[in-house]
Amino acid sequence: MSGPGRKFRYISTDRRVREDRRFVVGKGNYIADLAVEGMLHVALVPSQHAAARIISIDASKALASPGVHAVVGGDEIAAASEPLMNGLDTPNVRRFPLAVGATRYMGEWVAAVVADTRALAEDAAELVEVEYERSPHVIDAEEAYKPTSPPVHPAHGSNTLLDRVFDWGDIDAHFAASDQRLSLRVTWGRNSTVPIETFGVLAQWDPWNEILDVRASIQMPKYADQIARALRLPMNGVRVHYDVDVGGSYGVKRGIKHSVLVGHLARKLGRPVRLIEDRLENMRSGDAHGPERVFDIDVAFDNDGVINSMKMRALDNAGAYAGRAPFQLGKPIGAIVGPYRIKSVRYHAVSVTTNKAVEEAVRGFGQSPTNYAIETMVDRVAEAVGLDRVEVRRRNFIRADEFPYLIPSGTRYDSGDYHAVVDKVLARVDWTALVAERDALRAGGTLAGIGVAACLEPSGGNSSFEPLLNPKNATTTWMESCRINIDALGTINVAIHTTSSGQGHETLVATAVGEALEIDPAKIRVTRPDSLSSLPGNSPVGSRMAIMLGGAGFHAAHKLKAKITAIAARQLGCAPAEAAYCEGAVSHGGKTIEWAKIVDIAHRQFHDLPEGFEPGLEASHIMQTPTGEALPTADGRVQMYPCHSFEFHVVLVAIDPVLGKPELRRYVIGHDCGVVINPHIVKGMTLGGIAHGIGAALLEEFVYDSEGQMMSQSFMDYLMPSASEVPHVEIVHHCTPSPLTVFGQKGSGESGYLGAPAAISGAINDATRPLGVRFNKLPIRVGAIADAVAEALEKRKEAP
Amino acid sequence: MKAAPFEYVRPSSAAEAIALLAADEDARVIAGGQTLVPMMAMRLARPARLVDISRLTELSNIRIDGENIAIGAAVRQAVVERDALAAEKTPLLARALPWVGHAATRCRGTVGGSIANADPAAEIPLVLATLGGSVLARGSRGARTIAAGDFFLAPMTTALEDDEILVEARFPAWRHARVGAAFLEISARRGDFAFVAAAAQVALDASGACVACAIGVGGATHVPTRLAASDAFPGAAIEESAARKTLALEIADIDIMTDGHASPAYRRRASIELATRALLAARDDALSKEPRA
Repeated sequence: MSGPGRKFRYISTDRRVREDRRFVVGKGNYIADLAVEGMLHVALVPSQHAAARIISIDASKALASPGVHAVVGGDEIAAASEPLMNGLDTPNVRRFPLAVGATRYMGEWVAAVVADTRALAEDAAELVEVEYERSPHVIDAEEAYKPTSPPVHPAHGSNTLLDRVFDWGDIDAHFAASDQRLSLRVTWGRNSTVPIETFGVLAQWDPWNEILDVRASIQMPKYADQIARALRLPMNGVRVHYDVDVGGSYGVKRGIKHSVLVGHLARKLGRPVRLIEDRLENMRSGDAHGPERVFDIDVAFDNDGVINSMKMRALDNAGAYAGRAPFQLGKPIGAIVGPYRIKSVRYHAVSVTTNKAVEEAVRGFGQSPTNYAIETMVDRVAEAVGLDRVEVRRRNFIRADEFPYLIPSGTRYDSGDYHAVVDKVLARVDWTALVAERDALRAGGTLAGIGVAACLEPSGGNSSFEPLLNPKNATTTWMESCRINIDALGTINVAIHTTSSGQGHETLVATAVGEALEIDPAKIRVTRPDSLSSLPGNSPVGSRMAIMLGGAGFHAAHKLKAKITAIAARQLGCAPAEAAYCEGAVSHGGKTIEWAKIVDIAHRQFHDLPEGFEPGLEASHIMQTPTGEALPTADGRVQMYPCHSFEFHVVLVAIDPVLGKPELRRYVIGHDCGVVINPHIVKGMTLGGIAHGIGAALLEEFVYDSEGQMMSQSFMDYLMPSASEVPHVEIVHHCTPSPLTVFGQKGSGESGYLGAPAAISGAINDATRPLGVRFNKLPIRVGAIADAVAEALEKRKEAP
Repeated sequence: MKAAPFEYVRPSSAAEAIALLAADEDARVIAGGQTLVPMMAMRLARPARLVDISRLTELSNIRIDGENIAIGAAVRQAVVERDALAAEKTPLLARALPWVGHAATRCRGTVGGSIANADPAAEIPLVLATLGGSVLARGSRGARTIAAGDFFLAPMTTALEDDEILVEARFPAWRHARVGAAFLEISARRGDFAFVAAAAQVALDASGACVACAIGVGGATHVPTRLAASDAFPGAAIEESAARKTLALEIADIDIMTDGHASPAYRRRASIELATRALLAARDDALSKEPRA
């Protein structure tokens, strides 16, 4: 199939993104916009050391400073709360909002100061005197993995959080039977999504109703649950308000430590308390760094470029605490062979603690680093067999007629047509002309290279990696929900049960419900009730909302449609199955019952309601993820995410051989995310993802020195791509509908980011290959390129 | 990211500003604030008192002063960028200004502030040093002129005394018929601090021979540096291979700065490359101008 194959009224049409209106005019409703009477502010005292015992905290001067209400240290928090949640079964890696007894990374919060204003709180925070006794630290993941390394959590016994080998298929036989093998190591530097709005949270405790109201810049599953557990409150004593705009996230807005801290302070002081990270806190101590990973790959392949088997070790530097980060080694298991027919895989997943800031979920949940490793490996195979890189990919691609396709690690890919997407992209770029352009640049003395990357975006996120990596966890439910209420005047109200951080969920759900009810989505109101009035959900993670919120909205709308049809059928004197629903009216035998009449009956004319009907017109749906409902097998196979979007990147890079700065001359991406619900949203996701990928490939890194001091704490040193660094991107669309979703849609929230770093790295390596220079580590910096090129040219000069 | 407590004073004259500075050793001048304010927000700078000179009309002029274009300390970079007189008389400054930060920061940042801040990667100090300009400083003990070569002492360090303010910057205005200029730099991103910046201004006679030349490099060195090679080119046409050789010879020996962003070897190679390119581009710019009849 190469097209949607279905006619839609509103899906995939050129419709305005409704959220844009308020954002563009600056009328969003962010945490910083919320001013509550009597609100107090928090500043944090950061640790100066990578590892140290906290001997004492003297807050006397701070407490005497103007406007200060309290100074709180780790001991108080530890007594007042339960440890924050760990994903893995690592109970002795205990984490609290503030350092308790010891600090484990530079910047970790040692104490919190509450004052009338943030400025007064910062003034006082400087006066808090902390006495430390330094202890041994470990920064590098390989060092931390050694049994002799100083454990970041002595009670845990070592730095190893996860160390597991999965064997899927007959690896040894496939290696033995292959013509060739090669090994490579690639390293993904520590970067993140760095949102324009830092994390913020406002908590208010109402002692008379015994309820904690929380408003936060949050994107996290089970947020209210985690606050309630940590603060030992009943879950119906925590009310999270979802009608707060979130100024960017892509995974990292998970300020659970901030929220528990502020919840405690609000209860302690009986005043509303707000904490908004400043940029320094966000970067060094917001616990929001992304994966930092070393991949060692052995690959077995034949002389014709067909890849048979792969062994991959992925070593991840989780930072000072466990959190949910180690699961980012688990999610890529669902696409561990990429779009290729690799027959067997050995995957060795290792996660270690170090004295760095804590890792958190970032766009793709570990998939983009993994894709970078796989794609670099495929480039090396092509080089080894002397074949074109695109041709080698074509030879290894799963064919369109092989779907659904079961990969060795137990996931079934739903659908795709990788060959078709590649053909379309090559036609768009005019591959022959592109190669000629590269070669002309080279002839003129410029280093020039073409990069390609073919990657999957697993989507429709479930949490199958939880039971896979934690034997005590048997979670197979990862639902999303939607409730629709048609009010007494006939207007439609849709409730969603999460915050959004720019994904356009209001547009998404209105489009899905409008499509199902055949009513203009612009007329549909979308609201976000608080957590006590919400149905269960798991928030926008794992590229899931098009599938899950779109699906829940669709199903709820169909339940309503059935009610509407039944009410009208009674008036029409026919069976519901004989009545025809069209654009809100219902007809049979030449007679039509209009929407207003049906609404009237539902709300005011009980005597006309079909027997057994409740008054009103309301329906809700709690949707389970399609597939992924089974626990993993004993040998570690599991169905991860249900749907698999595909992207194919082609990029032409030109590099001045002396100055070393890569210039992206042409960027084309082929993208297949099935049926697109709103083209503007998908385009925005894809362009943003590529910009993010350019950052990961070339610019962005949280750098630590050997003492654990963080060298890139602000935008002076942590460089994000700006408009000048992001080229014009051409998007080539393709649509292979998913058979598993209501419209054929797949996810697109991580698109672009999943392949851009691999493609750009490939292009730079293609440019420097004639000099024998390789880059195996991201980001690839200007100076590193120029120095390596200069060295190679020098050697060449010396050679006879 | 809230500044430590400070006082703010807006004097009504330069004399009053100098008196305020002399009276308080923890006072600092603020003009555009594009460096100082972020430093204060991160509490890396903690002046007790800010003396704001940005609205002093006596410091807000661009004028011809003998052989120089004199730019008052409170003149915004964006104003100079759009000033026809400055563009005509100091083409190198005009070429450099678009590289300074971003359009938004240039609307606040001042020419004098950039010079007084003396960031080794800053463009305006490089232009001043390359052209051999000077600054007029005034303090409680009177006014003095300081040549650019004596003004920049080390990264972020100048010859200004604590009670002195930079009153104006003086950029030599060349009177030759055919003057060309070029400014080039390399940085990780557009608008970032340069790993290396190179500035060149060249005057040619009607035959195309060089009659005056100024070349400088910044970013690579602790202070913006006018290259001695500037004096090697007048008297003949500027040719690429000879120019490269001359510049490489000098740059091979200069003291190169080191930091986490680029290796000293990189900075040296890039300095040679960019200085050569800037010189040739300045020559070509001059050649494109009609010789005076």
